[in-house]
Amino acid sequence: MAARRLGGSSWQQVVSLSRRCCLPGGRRERYRCSSSSTALGKTVDNSEVTQEEIVLPRRKTWGKLAVLQTLASTVNKDPTAAHYMFQDDPFLMPRNAANSRLFSLSKESGRNAAKYIIKQFPQYFDKTFAEPNIPCLMPETFTPQIEGVSEEALKERIHLRRVKDSVDLFDQLVQAGTTVSLETTNSLLDLLCFYGDGESTPEKEKEEEDLEEPGVNASEQKAPKRQFQRGSQSSGSRWRENNNAERIFKIMPERNAHSYCTMIRGMVKHGASAKAYDMYIDLLNERHKADVHTFNALITAVPYLKERFLERWELAKVFLNHMAQQEVQPNLLTFNALLKTLRRCGGVGRSMSLLAIKEMEALDIEPSLATYDHLLFIFYRGADLCPSGIISEVLDDVEKRSFTPQDPDDANFFGTAMQVCCDLKDIKLAYQLNKAMEKGDNWKFLDMDRLNAYWSKFFSLLCMMEQIDVVLKWYKEMSPSHFYPTPKNILDLLQALDAANHLEAIPSVWEDMKQLGFNRRQDLLQELLSLMSREQHPEEIQLAFAKCAEDIKAVYEQSVREQALLEWTGSALGHVALLFSRAGRTQDAWNMMERFQQINRIPTDQVMEEFLNCAKQTNCPDEAIKLVKLAAALGLPSSQRLKSRTEKEFELSEKQKKTLESIKSDSDSSDSDSDSDSDRE
Amino acid sequence: MWSRVRGWGGAAGGSCRLAARLLAGPASGREAAGVARLEGRPHRYRRLPKIQKLFSTSSVLSTEKDGSTASKDSTTEVASKSQGSTAETPKQKLLDLIGNMKVEVSYRKKLQQLKTREIKKQATNKLEGPDSEGSVLQKTTEDVQRGKPLNPELVEAAAAVASSLPLNKKQTESELLAQLRRHEETTDKQKKGGTINIRNVISEMAVKRQSPAQRGVRISSRISLELDEDGQRIKLERLSPQSFDSRRSLKVGGRLNIFTKASTETENTLKTVSSPTIWDLEFAKEIAAITAQPPRNGFEEMIQWTKEGILWEFPIDNEAGMEDDAEFHEHIFLEKHLEDFPKQGPIRHFMELVICGLSKNPYLSVKQKVEHIEWFQKYFEEKKEFLQEI
Repeated sequence: MAARRLGGSSWQQVVSLSRRCCLPGGRRERYRCSSSSTALGKTVDNSEVTQEEIVLPRRKTWGKLAVLQTLASTVNKDPTAAHYMFQDDPFLMPRNAANSRLFSLSKESGRNAAKYIIKQFPQYFDKTFAEPNIPCLMPETFTPQIEGVSEEALKERIHLRRVKDSVDLFDQLVQAGTTVSLETTNSLLDLLCFYGDGESTPEKEKEEEDLEEPGVNASEQKAPKRQFQRGSQSSGSRWRENNNAERIFKIMPERNAHSYCTMIRGMVKHGASAKAYDMYIDLLNERHKADVHTFNALITAVPYLKERFLERWELAKVFLNHMAQQEVQPNLLTFNALLKTLRRCGGVGRSMSLLAIKEMEALDIEPSLATYDHLLFIFYRGADLCPSGIISEVLDDVEKRSFTPQDPDDANFFGTAMQVCCDLKDIKLAYQLNKAMEKGDNWKFLDMDRLNAYWSKFFSLLCMMEQIDVVLKWYKEMSPSHFYPTPKNILDLLQALDAANHLEAIPSVWEDMKQLGFNRRQDLLQELLSLMSREQHPEEIQLAFAKCAEDIKAVYEQSVREQALLEWTGSALGHVALLFSRAGRTQDAWNMMERFQQINRIPTDQVMEEFLNCAKQTNCPDEAIKLVKLAAALGLPSSQRLKSRTEKEFELSEKQKKTLESIKSDSDSSDSDSDSDSDRE
Repeated sequence: MWSRVRGWGGAAGGSCRLAARLLAGPASGREAAGVARLEGRPHRYRRLPKIQKLFSTSSVLSTEKDGSTASKDSTTEVASKSQGSTAETPKQKLLDLIGNMKVEVSYRKKLQQLKTREIKKQATNKLEGPDSEGSVLQKTTEDVQRGKPLNPELVEAAAAVASSLPLNKKQTESELLAQLRRHEETTDKQKKGGTINIRNVISEMAVKRQSPAQRGVRISSRISLELDEDGQRIKLERLSPQSFDSRRSLKVGGRLNIFTKASTETENTLKTVSSPTIWDLEFAKEIAAITAQPPRNGFEEMIQWTKEGILWEFPIDNEAGMEDDAEFHEHIFLEKHLEDFPKQGPIRHFMELVICGLSKNPYLSVKQKVEHIEWFQKYFEEKKEFLQEI
């Protein structure tokens, strides 16, 4: 459609041009013949009559992504498929959270390794094959081009973010008596303060390189890595006393507000809050004005400057008042910083945060997700839960808008909000939140780890609150494609199944557990076994359960690689034996019974009875006698009762009767209780 | 079910009676709803939903309840509108409030009878429930009321009213309580006469409007599995001085009053002044990294590649990599550059061939083509003499 329009307009251009350029008539005829559209023909006729000047319309410019975006919007999610990034290789399809994390990280690290090679050895990548050139596939120049000691060279090194080189060059310049301009010195300070004047350790270098990567290839698998780096950076490079930044700042002949501001920001970033505050006082003494970013940094530093809640709030207010006095307009980040500080102000934070929100409203600053995140934290992470008034107002607001990232903390919102929904046990709010999350591009705020955490919380809440069919529907839709359930999720699901009396679904859950790699978790196995063996079920289900039990038995008995063998517990053995006997698998059940003796555990009476029932059903007197033997050997009080039952209920041969008799003489003397038991029967 | 409800019996005691009043007849539904509103108000609003939970167990009441909530909404709307005026005449409002409270008291006996009849079978144990407050309330008779005029519920109500007024809260609260004592007699009279127009009271009450938030609470508490625990906790909160947290909302309350809104012009000038520093660049990168998710399908991957410059841009044409912003016709139709040449003759002929060639050359930019033509123009200008000789 659009293409046709484009074609049309260009033909119009052709026609009108031909007229303006006064081409010979023959040529014009040809053009007119080739224009198929009758409408165009008309315009030509008209123009011949009126001789009007025709204004050429500009060419239509296409968004280069328009076509692809349209196509992408037609693709729906496949609930049975793993994430797209894993689809290159079916063998590497992850089955659980650990695998998916490993695979995505390895994919990304492969990419990073390639980049590293290109960067380390740019000399091997000097051929430009592509036409037009693709800059992001080519090595970038990181070696300074300008030699010698000059301000230009310094500027270049600063631009290339070579911390140590820049400092050295600056020192040489100063020693040579050259004055470096204020602007250049300030950008050097920016560089030093941003990196906290870190030493040029290899990691440091690498980190720098990472940060220098062009923004375009910031693909997301990097996010966890990035965060890790950020964490290491803030903990690794603390602000040192008299570091280069401070030294250069001191020897600067003149300093402007920017010099002070960047120092303050650097100090706050690298954990020297007290120093930053002193620097701010100096700035005030010099009658400079700080900028909004500096104030934001100072407000973030407040919790490190004061101990008591009220003092913190007072200090934050002082900064805000200074901003107003210095006519600095606050921005969204100012208020986010304020709220972040209020998170650590206890009860004061609660009342003040609402005032701050109102202030934002009055200033027409739209809250970002981070604003709401802080707000929820302030109100719902205390010792006692607030009622859901605030969160439901927040969700109403969030629902109405679609968000673009504005604050690094924006990403935390959905996780926090879901946690609050869980704490409040409010499924309606959770649904509302989920709807807001799926709206527009909001899903992008959840990277893989956060997504997993989010869904796992949501799913737990569903298990707790929803009808079992709804839970199972969600489970089917989400389970492998959206997220990988945690062991706790599975436990919740089992409990939900139990509560809804829907135990026949257990075998399929067991299959999923095997897939997810939870088949060696004792707590889950225990829960599974006890649920399966608690009641008698119809035969079909019992058979399926027995199959599960067999699987579980295999899990207990095989050792996977170097992992330690799972230890049988008495109850697990009993449950498995029960399940086998109920399914009529006498031999398997007997194998389990024998194991009791091997590991010195005592089977419960129920197990013994059920096994006897099973032996009776399948008409295996031998097994029954063996059982009585076992009971006698273990010295169980029930052995007499079992024996008398065996005598009564089975048709025993002479030999078998004799054996049974001999067992009696063994245990008779030891146990008088059992006698009375059997008498009663 | 009933064992769960028992925990609530106490807290809900007062309103149980009200709800029972609803049974008395649909005509009085509106009044009763108003009373329920007043009654509910002194407590934390979380209580209401629990009450409904209690009554939803009885199918008879469920329909009545819906009607009452509807009317409740309408009254609250009226009330919230008149909030401004009531704030100005707190005393008047107090009088009405107190009168109303006592009207409610007058119903107590009757209602209690009604209610005990209603839920005798299941709820006899309710009276002996562990909830001491509840049992006190339910056993209170009119006489007890007179002997001890300051029912704890009323005290609470006073506190709640005080908190909702814009004036000094403590003062208001003590005023309220004083009023309660002073007007004990009057209320007795009113009670006997029963002439008070509840509708007026309702319309003048500054009732906090039930926000969707509160409705959310109702829903959440309805499905809460741990009713008893919940109830316990909420009651504790209610007694604590910090109990008005629930009234907090994003929509009400003041602001910090530190900043004033700047005109947009100054903002713009501030923005344009400074060039981006390393801080700005890195911040932008950090922000971009938040929402940079791995592609979810092939098309999204292609979008990413296009952004990186690896892929041909859609729609695919032969202009990829052409930087100049010239349009198609500027490349093809070069006749307009021939105006300075002779209109006819060999030079014209030659130049037409030149532009014909140029128009088919995709490798030159428009500027280069024009330069090329200008070169010929200059050349022919220089050689004019020789040419004319020929």
